[in-house]
Amino acid sequence: MKVVEIQNLTFSYSRSASPTIDDFSFSMNTGEIVGVLGQSGSGKSTLLRLISGLEMPKKGSITIAGKPVVNDRLFVQPEDRGVGMVFQDYALFPHMTVKENILFGLSRMAKKDRKPRVKEMLELVQMEDFGDRYPHELSGGQQQRVALARALAPKPKVLLMDEPFSNLDADLKESIREDLLLILKKANMTCMIVTHDRNDVEAICNYSITMCPLIAEQGAAGEKFQTL
Amino acid sequence: MRTNLKRFLQKDFNSWWMISIIGAAVILLPILFIFFSLFQEPNENWFQIREYLLKTYVANTVILVLLTGIFTAILGVSLAWLVAAYDFPLKRFFRWGLLLPLAIPPYIAAYTYKTMFSYTGVIQTTLRNQFNYQIDPEILSISSLRGAIFIFTFFLFPYVYIMTKAFLESQSSSFFENARLLGRKPISIFVKVVLPLSRPAIVAGAVLVIYEVLSDYGVTSYFGIHTISTAIFQTWFGMYDIDSAMRLAAWLMVIILGMFILERLLRQRRRYHLNNKSRPLVPMKLKGFKAAAAFAYCSIVFLIGFLIPLIQLIAWAKLTFSKVWDETFITLFFQTIFVAAIATVLILFLSVVVANVCRRHTTGSYILAKLTTTGYSIPGAIIAIGVLAMFITLDKWLAPLYSYIGLGDAPLILSLSLVMLIVGYVIRFMATGFNAVEVGYEKIGTKFSEASRLLGFGMTKTFFKVDLPLIKGALVSGFILTFVEICKELPLALLLRPFNFDTLATKTHQYAKDELIHEASISSLMIIGISILSVVVFQMIDKKVQR
Ligand SMILES: Nc1ncnc2c1ncn2[C@@H]1O[C@H](COP(=O)(O)OP(=O)(O)OP(=O)(O)O)[C@@H](O)[C@H]1O
Ligand SMILES: [Mg+2]
Repeated sequence: MKVVEIQNLTFSYSRSASPTIDDFSFSMNTGEIVGVLGQSGSGKSTLLRLISGLEMPKKGSITIAGKPVVNDRLFVQPEDRGVGMVFQDYALFPHMTVKENILFGLSRMAKKDRKPRVKEMLELVQMEDFGDRYPHELSGGQQQRVALARALAPKPKVLLMDEPFSNLDADLKESIREDLLLILKKANMTCMIVTHDRNDVEAICNYSITMCPLIAEQGAAGEKFQTL
Repeated sequence: MRTNLKRFLQKDFNSWWMISIIGAAVILLPILFIFFSLFQEPNENWFQIREYLLKTYVANTVILVLLTGIFTAILGVSLAWLVAAYDFPLKRFFRWGLLLPLAIPPYIAAYTYKTMFSYTGVIQTTLRNQFNYQIDPEILSISSLRGAIFIFTFFLFPYVYIMTKAFLESQSSSFFENARLLGRKPISIFVKVVLPLSRPAIVAGAVLVIYEVLSDYGVTSYFGIHTISTAIFQTWFGMYDIDSAMRLAAWLMVIILGMFILERLLRQRRRYHLNNKSRPLVPMKLKGFKAAAAFAYCSIVFLIGFLIPLIQLIAWAKLTFSKVWDETFITLFFQTIFVAAIATVLILFLSVVVANVCRRHTTGSYILAKLTTTGYSIPGAIIAIGVLAMFITLDKWLAPLYSYIGLGDAPLILSLSLVMLIVGYVIRFMATGFNAVEVGYEKIGTKFSEASRLLGFGMTKTFFKVDLPLIKGALVSGFILTFVEICKELPLALLLRPFNFDTLATKTHQYAKDELIHEASISSLMIIGISILSVVVFQMIDKKVQR
């Protein structure tokens, strides 16, 4: 089943500027992990912001899990799209503990299910012992896992990750990459990962797309790694 | 097009956006009222004013603004450079001590100095009794343009000082070191490097000073100088000619527009900031004569701008405290705090909403931000007239409603109430609160609220759960700064207060006008006490930036 369907997406940050994304089409199936490559400024983060509803496209449509979220006549607010996102610098709320951060996204879940879900997520990312700490008391890798747990907790239909490894050093990165793959597979999560590093793609992604400034193309589906 | 509108409504239209638009409208309406007055037939009185008086009003206003602008710039920049680039005795104290003159509103300084220089004042009596010397009263006469410029300069220069100092301290030392390696003497470094580099900061500070001078009523009326602001009061209260007062206000707006353009021209290329904070400016130690000179310079400014008037006020207050003190002062104090608090809460509420809408770059948000903060550049007298005109019209519209609920025929309800003064305060000081809140939002960025949206919370819940706890500090400092400004404010309060309602500022003005110096000193000290709060806040913000 198609989880994300993007058709003829066009977007620019200001009315006058030339489009950052121009007539871009793309789709993803359930459980697929797709890498998004491209040089700096090519519009990778912008693409994620459009899918999540933090920006509104000029033209084109996006459908998530069969429900249109934006087209010529419609705009669904980000909180109603069922999209999870892990930000580059994690954006963990500094005034909340790890548990509270994860609990934050569970407001639409029945009260009695919330606590167990938090526990489940902490176990999933192996952070059971850190629930009562504040984000600034965690290492970079630990923060990253909490961010992942927070994004996965509300069971989003698709998970977007913007350069999730860029703040980690090389050693840590390798082990976390493997953990991530396991976690995503366990949750059967559809996921889009923006990265600069081709190794990330080889390690976890089913395939990748490369954004070029102004033009974005989809790598041939089925071909596992697109080569430059 | 229709489809775009629908999509826009789904994306941006919510209660936040609505409140912002309503707030902006309330702020803008009074100003529009003034401009519309230009299209009405002027009355007889106006021709008189235009023929015989307008030239003097405009000339005095322009002279005051230009000379005060120049002198505050000189004083502010030289002190900022001394403090930023050199070490000398007591410098750590002067760093913030030189902000203290801001705690004494110019109208209080004006009456204090005028009384001190008078025949029975401390200066002349001391000269007569101790030195048996009769000084020519002309020399000491402070009730003049000269005197007003003196007062404005010594009590408003901190605006330039604080802006320039912050700018210089954020600069890398390489500019100044290079200049020295190239064989330049300190004076020529100051003229050739410091001045041109910090021009944007100097202009920004001087513009704040100019707005204060344009808005002034206390100093100029006390010294008997006719400016456009005082003329607005005269035509309003002296002749009950609101039409002409509005025309004068429109004239003043023309001068302000001129200032705006001048400011743009002076700022032009403001991208001097080469923000490589590698090595901040390291102060150089001054020795011997130079250290003494720097110390003396700062001390003299501090004495004239803060300590002398403060001691004089305390002396007056002490002298007759038991005789003069009564409940009136306590009532005044709480009345002032009460209106100031209401207005400040409204300002912060609107600021938080508008700034939150603006940081999302929603449709029209830039214009929205500009509109809601215009009040700062518009003198109190103009705002007062606009607000009054708006409320009188509003009362006319509401007349049927009033008579329906049995309040009589065509009464003036709103335009005789405190609501009017509070609206005036909100318009005038919106910018103070808004800027503080905006800084708070900028510091946390948008990522936390975006994360919250993606975790299923709407804009309002996100605000209370995520934004509010994170901008608390900015809100507190915004509250104090705005609150203090309102407590000090004179012209708006004089014009818009309901009958028999006084604030500390209006009462001080009244006492001073009636030569009740001792009564005035007590309420003055209360105002200064409140104002010192804002200097403390500035100091705290400054410390945080340094860390
Ligand atoms: N808020 C904004 N306003 C205006 N232009 C923007 C904004 N954000 C991004 N841009 C521009 O849009 C283009 C695409 O930016 P985007 O952040 O999507 O690139 P990216 O591929 O994520 O780059 P990087 O790899 O550096 O993160 C860039 O040219 C950028 O300058
Ligand atoms: Mg990016």
